[in-house]
Amino acid sequence: MALRFELAGAKASGLAAPRRGRLVLHRLVGKDAGVERPAIVLETPAFFKYTRHGLQPHLVPEVAAEVDALPPATRVQIEDFFDSDAPDCSRFEEGLHKFIALDTAEILMLDTLDPTISVRTAKPANTYMAIGSEAGTKRLTPDLFAQLANSLKPDIVIPLADIVEEPLPSLTQGKRISKSVTRSAKWLDECTAALTYPAAVFAPVVGSHSLELRTMAAKALAARHDIAGYAFNDVCLTLPMEQKLNLVQHSLELLDASKPRYMLGASAPDSVLCAVLRGIDLFDSSYPYAVTELGLASTYVLGSDGPAKPLPYSLDLWQDAMFADFGPLVEGCTCFTCRSHHRSYVHHLLKTKEMLATVLLQIHNMHWYQRFFDDIRRSLEQGTLPADAALFLQRYNCKEKPFSELDTLAAQACSPTTKIQRKRHAESQKP
Amino acid sequence: MTATDKFGHLDTPLEASSSPALKFEVYARCSTTKARASKMHLPHYTAHTPMFMPVGTMGSIKGITTKQLEALDCHVILGNTYHLGSRPGPELLEKAGGLHKFMAWDRGLLTDSGGFQMVSLLKLANITEEGVEFENPHDGQKMMLTPEMSIGLQNAIGADIMMQLDDVVSSLTTGPRVEEAMWRSVRWLDRSIKAHKRPTEQNLFPIVQGGLDIELRTKSAQELVKRDSPGYAIGGLSGGEAKGSFWRMVSLSTDILPTNKPRYCMGVGYAEDLVVCSALGVDMYDCVFPTRTARFGNALVRTGSMSLKQGRYTSDLEPIDKNCDCPTCAKYTRAYLHTTATKETTGCHLITVHNIAFQMRLMLDIRQAIVEDRYPAFIREFMRIRFGKTVPMWIVDALKSVNVDLTVPDSSGYSAEPVADDFQKVPNTWTDE
Repeated sequence: MALRFELAGAKASGLAAPRRGRLVLHRLVGKDAGVERPAIVLETPAFFKYTRHGLQPHLVPEVAAEVDALPPATRVQIEDFFDSDAPDCSRFEEGLHKFIALDTAEILMLDTLDPTISVRTAKPANTYMAIGSEAGTKRLTPDLFAQLANSLKPDIVIPLADIVEEPLPSLTQGKRISKSVTRSAKWLDECTAALTYPAAVFAPVVGSHSLELRTMAAKALAARHDIAGYAFNDVCLTLPMEQKLNLVQHSLELLDASKPRYMLGASAPDSVLCAVLRGIDLFDSSYPYAVTELGLASTYVLGSDGPAKPLPYSLDLWQDAMFADFGPLVEGCTCFTCRSHHRSYVHHLLKTKEMLATVLLQIHNMHWYQRFFDDIRRSLEQGTLPADAALFLQRYNCKEKPFSELDTLAAQACSPTTKIQRKRHAESQKP
Repeated sequence: MTATDKFGHLDTPLEASSSPALKFEVYARCSTTKARASKMHLPHYTAHTPMFMPVGTMGSIKGITTKQLEALDCHVILGNTYHLGSRPGPELLEKAGGLHKFMAWDRGLLTDSGGFQMVSLLKLANITEEGVEFENPHDGQKMMLTPEMSIGLQNAIGADIMMQLDDVVSSLTTGPRVEEAMWRSVRWLDRSIKAHKRPTEQNLFPIVQGGLDIELRTKSAQELVKRDSPGYAIGGLSGGEAKGSFWRMVSLSTDILPTNKPRYCMGVGYAEDLVVCSALGVDMYDCVFPTRTARFGNALVRTGSMSLKQGRYTSDLEPIDKNCDCPTCAKYTRAYLHTTATKETTGCHLITVHNIAFQMRLMLDIRQAIVEDRYPAFIREFMRIRFGKTVPMWIVDALKSVNVDLTVPDSSGYSAEPVADDFQKVPNTWTDE
């Protein structure tokens, strides 16, 4: 597999600095073997589209196509396909692109777990990662993961790791983290050994909040030549973003700086900006999904113009003031929803628990998120990102009150149109 | 996927009717059965009939955008007056410029009267000559829905077609209550006509009642015909009655109703019912079944219904129907839908899209067959695929009444044996979605 990462401008370094780059994929095997195909290019910083069962939340393909200029990159977690047992590989004879009806002009990343679910009860063991399914806990071994990857033929894989599940550092004893580092290293070895399809491997960078163990894990990874990128999926959940980024930074300084870096759980706009400033390249669109689930429409803007005082960064379509508001979700927005519908209709759909509410909101929120990343890349090119980000964090008062929509997904995602999460939302909105 | 009807080229109708807000033109008549293919010019759209109308109770078809509905070739969709009257309410709908504008739907809309929900959803509904008295579910106060109020609400919603408030009794009810309801429905129709404020923009359809009683239903239809309405509905059926009674009531009604006006059979949506009722001369149908069953993981196919949750589809790499041209069948396998159906709302949307496409394709095929005067052959082929040798008795009887005898072998050698089973275990009158 030829997955290249090209960094624009200065030489790659492990120092905390934002980077503009591109991920370039040229498939040499499988469905593209022998076919002259243009390379797939993902401009970074970028996000992978978050999916459930390979579908963007709420959007069937013909509706997803209403959202312009989405990045050609999709992430899928294999746990979605553990229905009652381990997924049957015969289902995927022609690979995952075909199975989930994804355009072959998309870079497909295969991960293990859903990043929007952070509370997990199934416990791992020495030889397997535990996956909760309808029929109880299932075991995902390194060998099974590699076998699945071989038949699914993703472009990028994030092998299984033993993620430290306790959300608070105080709860986590050093022994647990040490075990996680040992297991993860062993699983990575076993996985790469059994992987016959030439997917690019993004290695999980583990060590939780232990600097010593993070050093150990990062050093081991840095010595490997079969790793194409890094996935930061093991930073303590409830730490403030700056502290999480400090842990990431600690690992980054030891890793190969020329490789792309994907951070999970950092998709909220304020987190994205802070992470980009520290040199993270890749994210996923969990955040717009969380926004949609709460019945909100994104309104945040990155840029040097506009007021510096705190502004709301989303519009709550549940509020009574929306009842007779015939304006678009956001004045001037060019998304399908804003062109075709008004706030009053979306408010009505939410109130009546109609599923179209979340469809229309997701279209807007994905459009908005895509635009935000466009702005980040432009700002980076113009060299104004540090100032623009500082203004953004100030404008939306992020120091006092970080964007918190993702937290609402923490205890299992629920749609306002399926299971009512309204109460929790209302409580979280109380001053 | 939009396929066009073959009567685009026909410009001289065989017969027609014209009223201020509706022009109905019959372009083809089956030479064997009572089926016909027509155009119905409504204020917002020219619909082709026989047609199926998906139900969008609250002003949306579950999870589907109006742009998708257009691409799926839906001509008219339904809204429910009771639901829309409580949320968002008539004042807001008026302010928004009617339901069309509110939901951004440029084609045809039909609203029911709200009476059915009064009786089916609310406890303690009490019907008097004045109207339906019910307890407000929000504050427990006694409230009244009169024919005038129903029309007032429907005028605010602004649908192309409105339904009169009728005195609904279960199709299983017998005795004097049925006759009382039938006559009261006629009186309520007269009050509704008087209350209708927008006759040049909206059409009011009366509803034939009379339970399963031949005399009452005949009388009801005759009374309604005297009112010279733009079109007529056949109501009070599909409530769990024997199918043998159902089709006889439908056929009796279409025999009396004027041939140059549209006939709408309420609450019908099973494929075999659509094929049979079209042969009996019905032009319009609605039912929540196709969209509701989709959300339980059931995909509609010509052979029946495919429950995609079943383990047998785990590794089935065929589409739901390889001849279907819907966006779902173009991309997804049964194995994939098996893993997403009922787990993800998006998975439900995929099946909903297919099921709407299925209904629309079926209606298109029915229209084409009528236009080309091969509807009897179409019916035989349809029944062969759906039931094979053993066809429910009521279907055999209904078709025999319009000169299609399934028990006599055709040129392909197909013939059917009637079986007593109705193939309908649950009533399919779900008028709100």
